[in-house]
Amino acid sequence: MKRFLLISFSVLLGVAVSFGQAREISGKVTSADDGSPLPGVNVVVKGTTTGAVSDSDGNYKLNVPQSGAVLVFSFIGFTNKEIEVGSQSIIDVQLESDVTQLSEVVVVGYGSQLKQDLTGNIVQIKGDEIRGVPVPNLTQALQGRAAGVFVESQSGRVGEGIKVRIRGTASLSANSEPLYVVDGIPINASTITNGQTGTAANTGSALSSINFNDIESFDILKDASASAIYGARASNGVVLITTKKGKAGKTTFNLNMQYGTSSPTKKSRGWLNSKEYVELFTEGAERAAIYEYNRAGNPSGYGSEQEAKDDYQAFVESRFTRYSGFNNDWQTQKVNTNWQNLAYQNNPLTRIINLSASGGTEKTKFFVSGEYNDQEGILIANDFQRLSTRVNLEQEASSFFKFGVNLSFAKTITHRLTQDNDFGTPLQIVALAPITPVRDVDGLLNDRPVTTYYNPLINGENGQYESTIYRNLGGVYGVLTLAKNLTFRTDLGFDLLTQNDDQFFGSRTQSASTNGFGQSDWLRTFNFNTNNYFSYSKTFGSHFIDAIVGMSFQKAVTDQTNVTGIEFPTDDLKKLVSAGVINGGFSNATQYSFLSYFGRANYKFNDKYLLSLSGRIDGSSRFGENTRYGFFPAASAGWILTNEGFLNDNKILSFLKLRASYGVIGNAEIGDFNQLGLWQAGVYSAQSTLNPTQLANTKLGWEKTKQTDIGLDFGFWNNRITGEVDYYIKDTDNLLYFAPVPGTSGFNARLANIGAIQNKGFEIVLNSTNLDNGGLRWTTSFNFAYNQNKVTKLDGEQKEVLGNDGRFLNSLIVGQPIGVFYGPKFAGVDPANGDALYYKEDGETTTNDYNEAGNFVVGNPNPKFIYGLSNSVSFKGFDLTILFQGVSGNDITNGAGGFMSANANWFDNQTRDQLRRWQQPGDITDVPEVRLGYDNGMNASSRYVHDASYLRLKTVTLGYNLPNSLVNKIKLSSVRVYITGQNLLTITDYPGWDPEINADYRATNVNQGGDFYSAPQAKSMVFGLNIGF
Amino acid sequence: MKKIVIIYCLLVVLSGCNDQLDLKPQVAITEDVALSTDSNVKKALLGAYDALSNGNVLGGNLQMFSELLAGSGEVFWTGTFNQPREIFSKSIAVTNTFVAATWTNSYNAINVSNNVLSAIDVVNDDDQNRVKGEALFIRGTTYFELSKLFGKPYSAGNATTNLSVPIILVPTREITSELLVPRNTVAEVYQRAIDDLTEAESLLPTDNDVFANKTAAAAMLSRIYLQMENYTGARDAANRAINYGENTLTDNYDDAFNNSSNSTEDVFAFQVTDQDGANNMFLYWSTSDYGARDGDVEILDAHLDLYEAGDERLDLFFESNAAMRCGKWREQFKNLPVIRLAEMYLTRAEANFRLSTTVGDTPDDDVNEIRSRAGLSDASPYSLNDILNERRLELAFEGQRIHDIKRLKLSVGSFAFDANELVFPIPQRERNVNSNLTQNPGYGN
Repeated sequence: MKRFLLISFSVLLGVAVSFGQAREISGKVTSADDGSPLPGVNVVVKGTTTGAVSDSDGNYKLNVPQSGAVLVFSFIGFTNKEIEVGSQSIIDVQLESDVTQLSEVVVVGYGSQLKQDLTGNIVQIKGDEIRGVPVPNLTQALQGRAAGVFVESQSGRVGEGIKVRIRGTASLSANSEPLYVVDGIPINASTITNGQTGTAANTGSALSSINFNDIESFDILKDASASAIYGARASNGVVLITTKKGKAGKTTFNLNMQYGTSSPTKKSRGWLNSKEYVELFTEGAERAAIYEYNRAGNPSGYGSEQEAKDDYQAFVESRFTRYSGFNNDWQTQKVNTNWQNLAYQNNPLTRIINLSASGGTEKTKFFVSGEYNDQEGILIANDFQRLSTRVNLEQEASSFFKFGVNLSFAKTITHRLTQDNDFGTPLQIVALAPITPVRDVDGLLNDRPVTTYYNPLINGENGQYESTIYRNLGGVYGVLTLAKNLTFRTDLGFDLLTQNDDQFFGSRTQSASTNGFGQSDWLRTFNFNTNNYFSYSKTFGSHFIDAIVGMSFQKAVTDQTNVTGIEFPTDDLKKLVSAGVINGGFSNATQYSFLSYFGRANYKFNDKYLLSLSGRIDGSSRFGENTRYGFFPAASAGWILTNEGFLNDNKILSFLKLRASYGVIGNAEIGDFNQLGLWQAGVYSAQSTLNPTQLANTKLGWEKTKQTDIGLDFGFWNNRITGEVDYYIKDTDNLLYFAPVPGTSGFNARLANIGAIQNKGFEIVLNSTNLDNGGLRWTTSFNFAYNQNKVTKLDGEQKEVLGNDGRFLNSLIVGQPIGVFYGPKFAGVDPANGDALYYKEDGETTTNDYNEAGNFVVGNPNPKFIYGLSNSVSFKGFDLTILFQGVSGNDITNGAGGFMSANANWFDNQTRDQLRRWQQPGDITDVPEVRLGYDNGMNASSRYVHDASYLRLKTVTLGYNLPNSLVNKIKLSSVRVYITGQNLLTITDYPGWDPEINADYRATNVNQGGDFYSAPQAKSMVFGLNIGF
Repeated sequence: MKKIVIIYCLLVVLSGCNDQLDLKPQVAITEDVALSTDSNVKKALLGAYDALSNGNVLGGNLQMFSELLAGSGEVFWTGTFNQPREIFSKSIAVTNTFVAATWTNSYNAINVSNNVLSAIDVVNDDDQNRVKGEALFIRGTTYFELSKLFGKPYSAGNATTNLSVPIILVPTREITSELLVPRNTVAEVYQRAIDDLTEAESLLPTDNDVFANKTAAAAMLSRIYLQMENYTGARDAANRAINYGENTLTDNYDDAFNNSSNSTEDVFAFQVTDQDGANNMFLYWSTSDYGARDGDVEILDAHLDLYEAGDERLDLFFESNAAMRCGKWREQFKNLPVIRLAEMYLTRAEANFRLSTTVGDTPDDDVNEIRSRAGLSDASPYSLNDILNERRLELAFEGQRIHDIKRLKLSVGSFAFDANELVFPIPQRERNVNSNLTQNPGYGN
């Protein structure tokens, strides 16, 4: 019947054509980019249904009416072109590749789709856009490029943790990182730090083991409609990573080499010099004596104020003498050490070399690559190396079966640093006194008691912390064509990560008393995944349907061992076999599994109306028996208004689509076995013990996010300007939270589904081709995202979980954003006596007693909006790309403020602003009186909260392509030289090193925006050479 | 053929692996298993020791807090941690994390003890008394320690109205509103500790390896009675502790410290090895030369000047990191004595003196016992002040000083023995999750 209709239609058409006295036109369609023929191009006579399709050589042939005909050439990925036929009979056409992105193909879960047919929100970033960005981790390269995707490096340490949040944080205790899926395989993002497994957010990131030059595209699924196909794991968004595939044709080689150097974005915070140090602490001793005798209860029982002063003076001088190396050099300020500069590496280098080959035949296609990436960090003893290879192969075995393999192997070696709160971390060096010489008379690094604290330089000279990761990521797949429109695909994927962290701290480090300390941690995670699904797509007249249905199963098993040892015979023997005493060790194992069924149907009518339904059932071992399965549905619809008659011929508006979606998605990233009441083994008196470690919660289940998204996609002037506007509301409830419980229970917290968070906001994306003539092309792309995060419920009764720990203030308050800074508000200094003042609960009266201070919202670590602005200009062989990236409206608490900016509370060197301390009655200042040993404003309060908004010149690339004529002479196909600058300029009011930080040892969803000697970001300048042949 | 392929594909998609979702932890056991056998309950009892010896409880911090609160010119906190410094300067923030950790970890010890007591029927009949006695010892001791710091001293009077800490006697299995407990009074908590330790003394064996025995329970009771100024109770308990005969003084004073296994003098000590066990007195009081921190607590001349010439106890102090240090806590990975026999002689002497009795021995003989071991000659007869001075030196920096100051109604500088500043605040963390806990006076609302 169908066939009959088709034939009838063709016959009618034929009649119509012949009736119009047609003549034949032929020609060839090629790509304007490289002149290659374009097969499958639609050629239609405008205003008619007459058309043809170009063949495999790009040739077409069709009949047109005698006069006035206009041909329209259209092809996915290229801009449409209209040509008046006039009297021509041979029309060769070059199509420009489409920069408007509307007709691009985006990757969706278990398939792909035309961007213009999308009803959900997916942002695609091409691998080529971030090629050559000199950072080790792909997420760093994405920063500022996608609306609503917030990327934050926790510090400038190379190869360490990076936080990614898509449309805000939507969880309390569960992981809020997006799900990463590489070629269909959900991958593992955890590694170990100090024997602890963790998430990417607070440890070294497993994503650093992926060479992002191999990546064809990143497709970030942001709304529920796009991500619900990943069900219980989708509420943080999903990043689909597709690696490059070969194309039939000549084998092309590409060699890329980069060489450069980096430095901190801001080197100095500004510290006291020797003279100022001695002056300030001498004053501090005197003031403390007066305070102690008169106001602090005279606990030492001094007989007079003078006696107290003399005692304090003697004490402070004995300290100066000690810090000078037990001499009186402090009196003459002979030594003035700038410790901070010693924490940085001299001229750290970046060296990257990448070679790939791609090609194949109609039946066999391949892509292979190899990379060596060596980046030295800006801090001493910190560097990153990656060696990686990839093979992607696809073979068409027959007309109905093809199979392939995607396989990568990577080895990374990171020389890591101890965490930000460790005395050995390089930047804690700023606490040391400027009067202390770096080395003693024998040339050895000074250590305690001469240095105030442990000298972290010793870790660099006498310790090492080497983390090696071997990672195999890949799998095989087969695609069976069962019928013309029906295929079945099977993926068998795996992600094998083996990590070994070797630490050795020698006889001069903090482990001196035990003649060294060694630790070896091994971690192996084997993550197996299979997807099996049917895909169906068919056009019935003006109806188009495409659907998938299938299942997936994933199981991940993690094994870990740890051994520590002490008493090494010499610092040259660093492995634990040389340890005299093995003083600790354990092995550990954990596992989880997911069993899932999913389906999706897309329907399109008349190229105008779009509808999509999807659903997934997920079961996981992580949840209570009764709450084990969850169902995650989503629905969305779109309307392409420009395909309606009333807008069809609009000269200005070339594309307009309205879309809306709603769906329910989940988050299950909570670690394993949290539903059970557990006891674990311990040790006492060399005997094993049993201790209760976890309270049961049989009702533990998913976090559920209900997300609504309304969006508008538009294009003006033949899509010269395109853009998207989205508004979303993301309501997450059943939040998995380690809720604090009364300590009298014997426990601190229990994981439960309590609480709710709302994220709502809007996103704007604009792309424009500003100029495109005479070889000069200038494009701009802008993205902006505003997000408002609000905790809407805790456990129903509780309204706040206060987080003031004396250093940081991150709290949970109903009605406020997650992790808001809630605590005492600093009210300046009492002009009468130099006391630090805080506001009481009424917000008006003040007190000098920290315990009497009221609690206020004094800052918010969540950015209000994030944005990126990219401009590209190309002219002749030159190209210039400038990316600005910014974050606005967020605050940072300097948790080390109580040490480094604490009006000389203890002997830590102070920031220079402490010099404006209160000195005599009547002084109006914000730095309280210096009182050595007495807390005068050093506990956590708004005093240490700062605006951390910033605007950064993220990436600048200037390149030059040698002319083809020249390149061809030396038998190459392309040569490009370029220079890339990263983080060249940072504009911020944050007084610390850099506003993009979060202290690693405490980072969680709630604990954000904390500075604790965290390293600034790296500013780098790299030269590159790219050769194609 | 094609049909078979399609059916096969359908089968793959529909095949379940439901059982693959039933995974069991490999490094933990569930609650029901944990207390189901004799041997498991005994392991849980060891867990209670583990909890009590936590660094935040009697593994050092409780002792250190006592010395820092009492520090009137004899010690100096110079470490970077501001939490102990707040305790040292008697201005403790309600957010002080050290104080909060002591609270929660103490209740962990109580909860593990309660777990053991709840499963006592599972224990072999022969061992039931011992296991129960040990669990009661741990629970009673913990309540006593908590009350001393979080409540007003018993000697301040009003013990039946002054608030101490909540009493919990059942193990926690789930989180319910019943956990929102109010504070009990000082008298109630002391009575709980006395009841637990009295029963423990009756149940425990005389000899019990390094674990709590009759002597340990009696010795702990003597401390409680002394705090209550119940000298009869203190005297009799100390006398029993001596007469159980399990302990003798070491030959030399310094033999009583830095031991890898208990000395003959250790009535009760925590076991520390290079693989396990906390000794926070070492951590904060020793120096980096010995593997500790930087020497956060310095000993000042005012203390060293208290010793008379020839006192071997003075020899134990040593200079390191440019200051004097207490040698009792010098070495890494050494046991942490909680009660030494010497204290029992001094308690008996003081109580006998006050009561004008000679139970066990005369006060002069008991004091001479201590003095001669320290290399000092007989200087009897001794006054009450002499006895108290001997106690101060013998037990210096072992965590007793503030409690002696409080019961003797002395002062720290201008802070009276019952000053608000010498009592810890109820941690803000606790009050945030339990609105029934009232704050101590002097710490805001």
